[in-house]
Amino acid sequence: MVTIRIFRYALPLLILLLIPGTTVALTADEIIKKASLVYNYAGDDGVARLKMRIKDRRGRERYREMTMLRKDIEDGGRQYYYVYFHRPADVEKMVFMVWKNIGKDDDRWLYIPAIDLVRRIAARDKRSSFAGSHFTYEDVSGRNPEDDEHTIMKDELLDGRPVYIIKNVPKDKDIVEFSYYVTWIDKGDFLPRKAEYFDKARRLYKVFTVEKIETIQGIPTVVKIRAEDKGRGGETVVEFEDIRYDVGIKKSVFHERYLRRPPRQWIR
Amino acid sequence: MGFFRSVVAMSVDHPKKVIACYIVVTILFAIQFPKINIDTDPENMLPADEPARVAHREAKEEFLLHDAIVVGVVDESSEEGVFSSATLVNIGKVTEEILKIDGVVAGDVMSPSTTDDIQAEGALLRIEPLLDISRTVDEGYARSVRDAALNNPLLKDLLISGDGKAVAIYVPIREKSESYRISQEIKKIIGDYGGDEEYHITGLPVAEDTFGVEMFKQMAISAPMAGLIIFLLMLYFFRRVTLVISSMAVAMISIIWAMGLLIGMGYTVHIMSSMIPIFLMPIAVVDSVHILSEYHDRYGKGGDRKEVILEVMGGLFIPMLYTSLTSAVGFAALSLTPIPPVRVFGLFVAFGIFAAWLLTITFIPAYIMLVPGGRPRHRDLPQKKGDPPLSRIQRGLGHYSIRHNKLVMLSIAVVLVVSIYGISRMRVNDNPVKWFHEGHPIRVADAVLNKHFGGTYMAYLLLEGDSEGVMKTPEVLKAVESIQEYLGSVDVVGKTTSIADVVKKISYELHDEDPAYNIVPENGNAIAQYLFLYEMSGDPDDLLHLITPDARKTNLWVQLKSGDNADMRTVELLVDDYLEEHELPEGISASWAGMPYLNVVWQEKMVAGMLKSLMGGFATVLILMIILFRSFLWGIMAMIPLSVTVAFIYGFVGFAGKDYDMPIAVLSALTLGLSVDFAIHLCQRTRQIFSEEREWGRTVDKLFMEPVRAIIRNAVVIAIGFIPLIIAPLVPYQTVGFFLVAIMTISGITTLVVLPALMSIFKRPLKIG
Repeated sequence: MVTIRIFRYALPLLILLLIPGTTVALTADEIIKKASLVYNYAGDDGVARLKMRIKDRRGRERYREMTMLRKDIEDGGRQYYYVYFHRPADVEKMVFMVWKNIGKDDDRWLYIPAIDLVRRIAARDKRSSFAGSHFTYEDVSGRNPEDDEHTIMKDELLDGRPVYIIKNVPKDKDIVEFSYYVTWIDKGDFLPRKAEYFDKARRLYKVFTVEKIETIQGIPTVVKIRAEDKGRGGETVVEFEDIRYDVGIKKSVFHERYLRRPPRQWIR
Repeated sequence: MGFFRSVVAMSVDHPKKVIACYIVVTILFAIQFPKINIDTDPENMLPADEPARVAHREAKEEFLLHDAIVVGVVDESSEEGVFSSATLVNIGKVTEEILKIDGVVAGDVMSPSTTDDIQAEGALLRIEPLLDISRTVDEGYARSVRDAALNNPLLKDLLISGDGKAVAIYVPIREKSESYRISQEIKKIIGDYGGDEEYHITGLPVAEDTFGVEMFKQMAISAPMAGLIIFLLMLYFFRRVTLVISSMAVAMISIIWAMGLLIGMGYTVHIMSSMIPIFLMPIAVVDSVHILSEYHDRYGKGGDRKEVILEVMGGLFIPMLYTSLTSAVGFAALSLTPIPPVRVFGLFVAFGIFAAWLLTITFIPAYIMLVPGGRPRHRDLPQKKGDPPLSRIQRGLGHYSIRHNKLVMLSIAVVLVVSIYGISRMRVNDNPVKWFHEGHPIRVADAVLNKHFGGTYMAYLLLEGDSEGVMKTPEVLKAVESIQEYLGSVDVVGKTTSIADVVKKISYELHDEDPAYNIVPENGNAIAQYLFLYEMSGDPDDLLHLITPDARKTNLWVQLKSGDNADMRTVELLVDDYLEEHELPEGISASWAGMPYLNVVWQEKMVAGMLKSLMGGFATVLILMIILFRSFLWGIMAMIPLSVTVAFIYGFVGFAGKDYDMPIAVLSALTLGLSVDFAIHLCQRTRQIFSEEREWGRTVDKLFMEPVRAIIRNAVVIAIGFIPLIIAPLVPYQTVGFFLVAIMTISGITTLVVLPALMSIFKRPLKIG
């Protein structure tokens, strides 16, 4: 898989570097596809501690802390997520697992430790809130580039860095709550820097801002991101800590039976 | 008084200057009108810093509650009700469009397509919007939506009616002031996307707005209409358009002054203050009717115009001063109530009365001086041809009541006793929805929705704990649950909703819909995890309407089937009793919020305040009467028609089964102020005539000529003038109309029948024979 990736992306980049003075203009589709890979599929797997501060529209804060494991089955394709909650204390040991599918609904499971129960959760709606935050499931696991039509609006500087500004219009507008969204993608590392979502009446209602990027194991990684609800007010800030890539998480971890027995190797 | 008499003389000497001066001042008041600010918010019945209101606002903020427009979708024509595929698709589309309206809190809109349902399907837990029109909506799906809705105690009777015939869409709005525009846009959407099913639009903000619109109509139609009828009646009595115009001008100008001052001082026009013109109209006209009546009669007999005016004014000056003072006192006494709009109303009516008095003693004499032409033509004179029916009634009345004075007194005593019994049957209750007449779309919508749902009147029982997380403990949730169970047995309560319901529903679904698990779990962590599960799938803000993020406070929704304050009061008292017997867990306290509760708070204040202001007004008027007549007995006597009128009218209200509500309460001031007027005129003139005639029989004869005619004309003009109000679309205006007719009739009759009878009995102590 790694080799595939080199051929697919490093090669064109290499060519680009070798021929000075020429620029190959990327299409909007290519930019988004690349951004999706950089943002959602870094490494083959990954583990991180998430600290989530949710402020409601009156500024009242709730705090969540969780460990998230991810494994890519196929770059740009299927992925597994395993989310273990540490805080708040009364929900400790709750586990949430998602098999992200392409072209069909995701599979989701939830473990409720207080009654030692595992339930599969129907997940028609990827646009509902993740853990009571202002992020949706799709915001966490990434929206499939194939779901939207992409057009480059313009090139611009954002905080002094050149970015692509891309407008994304959903192909099936009935199953999402937005009419379109705009993403700012850094021309250097291809990480999204900002996204603005517009509702069906084309009013801005949600803004995502990447607030901090660090290079971890050579991979530029978003470590702090803010989601603001511009309609009702309120926001969520997520910080990623202890990020590690390619730690060799086995596929078998992402199985129903592991919901009751979290893999101690990564979750402490 | 010398000063004021010279004011009258000055007006007669310099009529043009006086009138020019009034025109300028009136223009100054009139240019304030464009600044008008309508206020129909029932919350403003309480002062902004009233603790109950502050608590209500805090609760609204803490639980993210907005005022909502309610769209009721009803289909009673078929078996499946609103759960046909076509109707469901329409509901989905209408909702989708409503979400696009500016000023709507889109994320908080509650509709079948925006509200999540939780359902177990074997090992699968489904948390999805109840209605999803992006999938194929066929009859089978429609049925499954209905079953799901009826199986979800959180949605049933709130969003979906138990009989499956109706669906409600709650549209919270950011600013109440925008509700008119938003409801118009909703109407348009319904026109575009609705089908054969019925749509009703209601909710507090809509009711308030509609009320504001109707209020304007009333101000613009009813008041001028009453004015027109008064004008025509006066024309009938006095025949001279130019003279009658002066009287109408007094009413118009004093209304412009009072409203101009109110608006200019930055007060909002509330339902109460919108009635200022209607209240001022009769009061402003009465004094000038006396002047015109006597001027008309005397000038017809000959004499110099200026001398006749001065003579008429001389005779009427004191009674006019006192009738104005008493009316003003009656209204000013409303400032003793703790309800701001009533206070403002009372004080500005009092100001208007003062203005009317000033105009009557200056403007009218000046105007009469300027009027071209002169004497009433011969054929108009009552002495020659007169108005025989009126004259006959007058004489008959006087003689009858004096001859049968004991019988008159007995029957009045009976009337008083019966009235007092009636008053004891009076029920204190108000219901702002009932301020609209029956058949008004708002009342129809209200009736339809309350028939199908758990009630559109939402009160909130707030529980507050002393530590974080306490509202998620099994102990507290069980207490909440038992309060709900108790409320379920109360008739007027249609439905209750709490965080305990959410927990129970999730528990039930997680345990494969096993009824044994439709309970609050014993384990605190289980509660937290169930709620977390809900948050993880639904809209995280949903739960915040029921519990604060720190779980220190919780909000139990209590839906009432009617907006009657009396019903809310019943619920409040029952819950008090219940909590007395079943104490809440240590450290938990309960309090109320919500509009129905605020209505109860101001109603209680109103009743206490009105009693105080009625007593205060009564005492002041009595003192004024004693000062006026320099006699305790005369003072007491002048209060009798007033007392009989107040007792009779409120006794009638009690018997008629009409609730003692805000407009009726406020009308006591009008009754107090107006029904003493005739007595003042009658007593004053009796004493005046007696001092000239020195003989009781001749006094009575003279009294029942011009003075009594003025009183009768007065009563007839006002009583008939306000009859059109009785068919007004707003009930408070109808009430005012009814009261004015009743006040004029009852106080007129008591004055003309009871006072002469009393005088003839107590001739000696009264020193009139």
